[in-house]
This record gives sequence, C-alpha cells and structure tokens, in this order.
Amino acid sequence: MWLYEKRLQFPVNIKKKDLRMAGLLVTQYGGPDGELGAAIRYLNQRYAMPTNKTKGLLTDIGTEEWVPWGYPLFSIILLALTKLVYI
Amino acid sequence: MYDKKLMREIQQLGFAALDLNLYLDTHPDCKKAISDYNVIQRQYENKRRMYELNVGPLVNFGMSPSKYPWEWLDGPWPWENE
Repeated sequence: MWLYEKRLQFPVNIKKKDLRMAGLLVTQYGGPDGELGAAIRYLNQRYAMPTNKTKGLLTDIGTEEWVPWGYPLFSIILLALTKLVYI
Repeated sequence: MYDKKLMREIQQLGFAALDLNLYLDTHPDCKKAISDYNVIQRQYENKRRMYELNVGPLVNFGMSPSKYPWEWLDGPWPWENE
C-alpha cells in the first residue's frame, strides 16, 4: 500500500504562465507513453518476476514513477504553468 | 510555521535516499552504497522528526502524531505557493 507524503520531492518555482510548455507536459502525463502508464506497467509486471531482486526493483521504480514524480510534481507544474485547470 | 530551509533539507535527503535505494536494488552487495544509505537514512529521519515537531505531520494514516485540533488539514499544501 502507499501513503501520501505532504511535500514535493523537488521544489517547484514557476514564475509565468506558459501554455505551450504545459501542452508538452500533458503528452508525458497520461497517454500510452506517459508516466502513469509506465508506473502501472511496472507495478503489474512485478507479479510475474521470478527473483526478489526484480520484484523489489519494479516495486520501487513503479512507486517512484507514480507517486513522487508522476503525479504530484507533474500536476503541480502543470497547474503553475496554466493557472487555469486543476488536474 | 512552515520552514522552507528545513523542507529543502528534507527534499535533498529524500532524493539522495531514493537514488541510493534504486542503485542498491541492482547492486545489493555494494557495501559503500549501503553505508551511505544508512547515513542518509538517519539524517533524513532526524530532519523529518524535527519538521513534524515544529511544523506538522508529513504522512497521513497513522504515520505521524497530531496536536489538537487535527493538524493534518493545516496549510500550506504542496501545491500552494510558499
């Protein structure tokens, strides 16, 4: 199971609206090649792994893609870049 | 009250711990990395404890204690400007 940590992994400091940059980020956010898709793939693939090393590695990279980067940091950068949408 | 400097230290230590963790997943016999990991882990735990005492809980669902009234709801939340 996963817990929420009430902080960002990395400080975000965006000074002005930039819709073009936000558009580029959206393509990495969802979709087949996005962060969330990668995270879910790692977390599902780990069930088929034969060794503890690969089970552990996929658990960790799946968590890392999804939790600290994939979702909170990404959505906050988008929010700051657009100041319009809440994702 | 929110402590920006302490939060930066937590972010740095957390980042280092995460990176060493991923390295160790593929290099589990590296003594140097395990010793670095354990040094970082202790510093990270100390800073987190300090932050939770001075500012408020960092993790929900039973991982951090609360004063009265329920502190989890207090801002700033991570998406709010510092």
